[in-house]
Amino acid sequence: MFKDLTLANIEKWWITIQISWVKHTAYRLNFFLQIIGPALVFFFVKYNLWASIYAGDSELIIRGFNFEQMINYHIWAFVVALVAQGHGSWNLAEDIRLGRISSYLIYPFNFWEFHTASWLSFQVIQMVIATFTLGIISYFGLLIFPSLNYFLIGVAYTLFISLFWFTLQYLTGVMAFWLEETWILRVMLNIIAYFLSGAIIPLDLYPKWLVDILNYTPFPYLTYYPIKIFMGEMTNLSLGLAIISFWTIVFAIINHLVWKKGIKLYTAAGM
Amino acid sequence: MTTPLIKAHGLRKQFISYKKNPGIMGSFTSFFKRSPLIKDAVKGFDLEVKKGEIVGLLGPNGAGKTTLMKMFTGIIVPTEGELKIIGSNPWERDKNFRKRIALVMGQKSQLWWDIPAMDSFLLLQKYYEVSDERFQERIKKMSSLLGVEELLHIHVRKLSLGERMKMELMASLLHNPEVIFLDEPTIGLDLVAQENIRHFIKEYHRENECCIIITSHYMQDVQALCDRLVLIFDGEKGYDGTLEDFEDILGCDKSVTFSFKESQDPNQQIFQGLDATWNEDHTGVELRVPEETLCPISSKIIDQLPVEDFATEKLPIERVMKELMNNPEILRARKEKEARV
Repeated sequence: MFKDLTLANIEKWWITIQISWVKHTAYRLNFFLQIIGPALVFFFVKYNLWASIYAGDSELIIRGFNFEQMINYHIWAFVVALVAQGHGSWNLAEDIRLGRISSYLIYPFNFWEFHTASWLSFQVIQMVIATFTLGIISYFGLLIFPSLNYFLIGVAYTLFISLFWFTLQYLTGVMAFWLEETWILRVMLNIIAYFLSGAIIPLDLYPKWLVDILNYTPFPYLTYYPIKIFMGEMTNLSLGLAIISFWTIVFAIINHLVWKKGIKLYTAAGM
Repeated sequence: MTTPLIKAHGLRKQFISYKKNPGIMGSFTSFFKRSPLIKDAVKGFDLEVKKGEIVGLLGPNGAGKTTLMKMFTGIIVPTEGELKIIGSNPWERDKNFRKRIALVMGQKSQLWWDIPAMDSFLLLQKYYEVSDERFQERIKKMSSLLGVEELLHIHVRKLSLGERMKMELMASLLHNPEVIFLDEPTIGLDLVAQENIRHFIKEYHRENECCIIITSHYMQDVQALCDRLVLIFDGEKGYDGTLEDFEDILGCDKSVTFSFKESQDPNQQIFQGLDATWNEDHTGVELRVPEETLCPISSKIIDQLPVEDFATEKLPIERVMKELMNNPEILRARKEKEARV
């Protein structure tokens, strides 16, 4: 895998990242909406929902969260989702389904390299969007900013989670060799993850027995714990890292095997 | 004697597809039990192509042309047989092999839709490790030859089909490939664009001495570009030889066209057995006449019917192709005859 880590190869990665960037920002209006969209969604959906639940009662505490804390939980949930989970790998499945991977079989640059580079470039854009969203929210005075230390650890941890999500999404993408459509798989995956990772409501609101079980799965470490870091609480960090690393490696290996098998099928059938 | 750049022997490719009965019930039953259909797309194909040759690969739809192209470029793996392109097994898809070939598919875009062609070119420049100097030189040369200098910075999706095709060609030739596969490069293009592309390919070949395999349904492409023709019918090679020999396959028949002052009855005895093709109002006809009877037949028609004009020429290659597509057994008979000799 790293045998051709030469300058020429690094250049190939770099230009792919740049071109993907151009591609992601090709449509100006779309890009603009992409940037301001998350902030709008946040205010319209999350803020309004919780504001009406708390109904202006600053004394009300739900499972240890007052209104301000609850809003901050959701701000960070938003940021984590943007950075860690933004990339859908839609192109990947489409490339396979429409037979566009023939091009990658001919170019002296591999399919996985192309898509990983394209993901890296997407991450940069997501970071910009996340920063912008945080900026707007703090302009309205809703944000409690953590110490720089916690913030940086939170960002690093979230980026690490995004690698996990990428390997998982890649897997659903390469399934396109067998399944004509893979989007339902992704939707299911996302919905399950939303519920079990604490992205919809804090895990503190779930029954304790369920949370105990969940702690053994990767889910809480994908959203709940990174949010906690941003909110100034560092619990289960090393356990989370270990679990996420384990699953990332597992998915990377499965991806490799699935690709090998899939490409054999493809080159045999030449869809 | 140079070693061939393309060497195929006994090449075979089998595809398995699944039969599905029509309608919802059909989908339902095929969900549980699928009956496979095995089809030989290419069977026992031999080919040798040397450096500098341009070979036209022709055949009806579904004859196996694209399957062959895909095997040659390593996109699909042959079921059986021997295949070497520039000394490599294409399906091993070695990066160095990939740097030496190119494939252009007229029906499928390889450029990125949402960005200008130049961006795609820059990407390919790095992928193929072409130096900046060479890259600039080639872009300049090719774009002026194709007349697309102004279009390099326009989003590909905004280009016309002809313009896009020119960009596709440029993209696949940036790295100066030794073997080029062009799969219907002129499909769907207007006459001027077709000619432009032909001219470009010819010019490119003259300067680079590369080996080109081209498939097309347009006989003008073949006539303008290829010195050698390979015909494929139903996965088998039907003909392999020069264009001149091909034109003589049906013997020394001539094509004679008559136009008449008034409409004629196509069922007249005089037109029988001459493979007549009439125009709509039956005032014009094209006949296929054996050389030895050309004079008597023509004078008879001129004598008996109100002929306004007539012309005779060698049988056009389209006519030969059409005849062969309708009656592939002509080629089989010819092959057997050759085998006996």
